[in-house]
Amino acid sequence: MDYLLEGLKKAFYLLYSLDAETYSAIWTSFKVSTGSILASLLLGLPLGFGLGYYSFPGQRVCKVLVETLLSFPTVVIGLLVYAFLSRQGPLGEWGLLFSTSAIIIGQTLLGLPIVIAFTATGIENLDKRLKSTLLTLGANPRQVLLTTLWEARFSLLTAAAMAYGRIISEVGISMLVGGNIKWYTRTITTAIALETNKGKFEMGIALGLVLLVIALLVNLVLAFFRRRAHEL
Amino acid sequence: MNYSYYLKNILFAYNKKKVLQIRELFLPKETSLGIFGPNGSGKSTFLKLLAFLLFPEQGEIFFFGERARDVCSLRKEVTLLEQTPYLLKRSVFENIAYPLQVRKEKNIEARVLEAMELVALEPKKFGQRKWFELSGGEAQRVALASRIVCKPRVLLLDEPTSNLDGENTFLIRRALTSLQEKEKMTIVVVSHDWDWLSAFSSQIYKFPLEIK
Repeated sequence: MDYLLEGLKKAFYLLYSLDAETYSAIWTSFKVSTGSILASLLLGLPLGFGLGYYSFPGQRVCKVLVETLLSFPTVVIGLLVYAFLSRQGPLGEWGLLFSTSAIIIGQTLLGLPIVIAFTATGIENLDKRLKSTLLTLGANPRQVLLTTLWEARFSLLTAAAMAYGRIISEVGISMLVGGNIKWYTRTITTAIALETNKGKFEMGIALGLVLLVIALLVNLVLAFFRRRAHEL
Repeated sequence: MNYSYYLKNILFAYNKKKVLQIRELFLPKETSLGIFGPNGSGKSTFLKLLAFLLFPEQGEIFFFGERARDVCSLRKEVTLLEQTPYLLKRSVFENIAYPLQVRKEKNIEARVLEAMELVALEPKKFGQRKWFELSGGEAQRVALASRIVCKPRVLLLDEPTSNLDGENTFLIRRALTSLQEKEKMTIVVVSHDWDWLSAFSSQIYKFPLEIK
């Protein structure tokens, strides 16, 4: 028990003293997760809108595919991205392996199905009268799309919060395609894995605390939007 | 040309079942028209065809002398208030301002206030209220204000007072009468209230018009 308490004490000291190595991992995590969530939203919102709004042949298959991808293991995504970005891979000449860009690509693939699935569900659950109301109020197709997304804003923010929660806490992709390079691609989760293996619990605990705070914030945001969505 | 709509050889079907068949029908312009008939006689479908929200399987619709083609721009001249309208998830003011915003029109605030006054919604009391803070009657009046704010050439109303209490029914009917007197607007109303319909409309169409 003393051993754990000592680790916790040292962890707080690392955070309080602004330890460079600890904060480098936190900064890298924030950097890559922000890039990944933005890319996931940019691609996922229109795709999710299309999947939930329009009826087209193969729509059911697309939905099953997206839902299957929700439970895709992060190491498998890491493996696929690694295969594509490694020197022998089809995108090897881009030279992205073991970079933050590679992590962003992998994490975008992780967040994308979440954004698509929850956006599609949010759009499907909108009131059926919305479309005819917007049309009869004079909205053009672009305005219909934007207003529909705005009407589903609480569902979309829930999708974004869920995707961010999964992205910030993943370890498989960052480890495989980022390479866990100190000061460069080492993220909170890969640092926890490495430092714990080395027996340096204090840094692992410090980073774990940061991750817990982020998870708590994400859950608070989720709870808020779920409550708002139920109120409506 | 003294008509708003000319419908020619219209056929509309749901799941291969004929709902509406019209050989030829002229609707006069700048007047109030009533539609009366039993449930399922195609009244709501008829209004949706006039609003360019549904399209006939056969036939043609002429709108103020022009063949209806560019429905996107036609929908800026005609608007429909459904029986249970949907309000956007925003404030009363923003709901009423929406049609003006999508048309990129000016003097939005003054025009919203004018529309609110017409449907007896006090701007200070209701302007910033959210969509979920309204009673059924207030929501119906907000929806009506959002239809008339852009002064369409044709206003279509599907049972606008069917679920409302006496006071809200009175306020909506008063707004429509005032609109009829002030604006050169074609108003088409579906209602089960024969007495009000005959007092309000210059002409009443009984449904089903012609179903084979």
